[in-house]
Amino acid sequence: MASAGILLAGWQAGAHVSEANASAVTTSDVNDTASGTGSSGTGSSGAGSASSGAGASAKAGAAAKAGGSYTGTAVETRFGTVQVQVTLKGGAITDVTALQLTDHEQRSVQISNRAAPVLRSEVLDAQSANVQTVSGATVTSDAYLTSLQAALDAANF
Amino acid sequence: MGTVVSLAVPAPHRASGPAGTTGDAGTGELETHDAGAWELEAAVAAVEQVFLAHDRTFSLYRPGSEASAIARGELALGHASEDMRHTHAEALRWRLDTEGAFTPERPDGVLDLSGIVKAQAITEAGTVLLALGLQDWCLNAGGDVLAHGSPQPGGSEPWRAGVVDPADRGALITAFPLGPATSRNALATSGTAERGGHIWVAGLMRTASSGFRQVSVAAEDIVTADVLATAIMAGGRRTLDIATERWDVDVLAVTDDGGLLATPGFRA
Repeated sequence: MASAGILLAGWQAGAHVSEANASAVTTSDVNDTASGTGSSGTGSSGAGSASSGAGASAKAGAAAKAGGSYTGTAVETRFGTVQVQVTLKGGAITDVTALQLTDHEQRSVQISNRAAPVLRSEVLDAQSANVQTVSGATVTSDAYLTSLQAALDAANF
Repeated sequence: MGTVVSLAVPAPHRASGPAGTTGDAGTGELETHDAGAWELEAAVAAVEQVFLAHDRTFSLYRPGSEASAIARGELALGHASEDMRHTHAEALRWRLDTEGAFTPERPDGVLDLSGIVKAQAITEAGTVLLALGLQDWCLNAGGDVLAHGSPQPGGSEPWRAGVVDPADRGALITAFPLGPATSRNALATSGTAERGGHIWVAGLMRTASSGFRQVSVAAEDIVTADVLATAIMAGGRRTLDIATERWDVDVLAVTDDGGLLATPGFRA
């Protein structure tokens, strides 16, 4: 996968862990663990984190036993300049963060938040009873009268 | 024609009273409760004023608006008001940043800033609500949502905005949490319903489509969400990838064949 490849490039270039047996990078989905509310669709899972969606898994090198955060050197890739920060605890990678990335025009690029095909059953659950408002393509005054939003507004009376 | 605005605030008791107000800005719906009824009426009135003021300047449905004068060629953009020129400049910046997918120029040559004006009005309305001291509210103007605080006053529960299923407008395909704790305060949805995407080619009706029936974008602010939703509808998959690369947003797109594309934030 492209994102795992970029993580690998940053990881190997990192001075602190170059001696590690980093044939691949452990990317435990730490940001997908429960974040306290019923919904996991909070911003923390997408913003700036390169671990979600990468999917690759492997063992970290035996040499990488130290704890702490390590910042890899900036690496040129076909996406632009990439730099990652890796957090280790007890020899295992517990977090991987993509630091500011820039493309060839020096614009910020996020590689971890691409849209992927999903099934309807895989998106956040929606029950009319649990929502306070409805987002749809622009609703004119006429269309509003029969819209879900109108039903919600009426239900609150 | 008009933008319908709904304002929802948490209420410990629900004492209801219908409050309809008329005007080209649309209808204000309000819930009241004993303690803050006057506050809420003031809030609704203030929000209405914001939308009316934007309407008077930017609405192409008002013959007397500045936008209509520009469309008729009676007023040059260089001589327009600061608001108009500022908004136009912002629209052009978005056109650059979306590589042309979002553009204020209509195919008939008329300058149509409505795509960005509605979102600016919502932003301003939100500022007004905060200035009035309301910390917990959810504003919905024509399907664009901006929220602050929580539906439980002082609580941590986020507002939940449902997204309409384009195949069944009485159903929701998903709901997205909004609020300061999530860094996503706004949700906008763009769809073919507002475009009437049918064209006639050689006597046969064709649908002009870039691949998506509906696009929802969640962002920190409503202008970003609204512009990107519109841009992705127009530009298709390529614009979707540009959007997720360059902005901190979540996107849910419904493809023409009913499939879904989603960023991690929309996944359960």
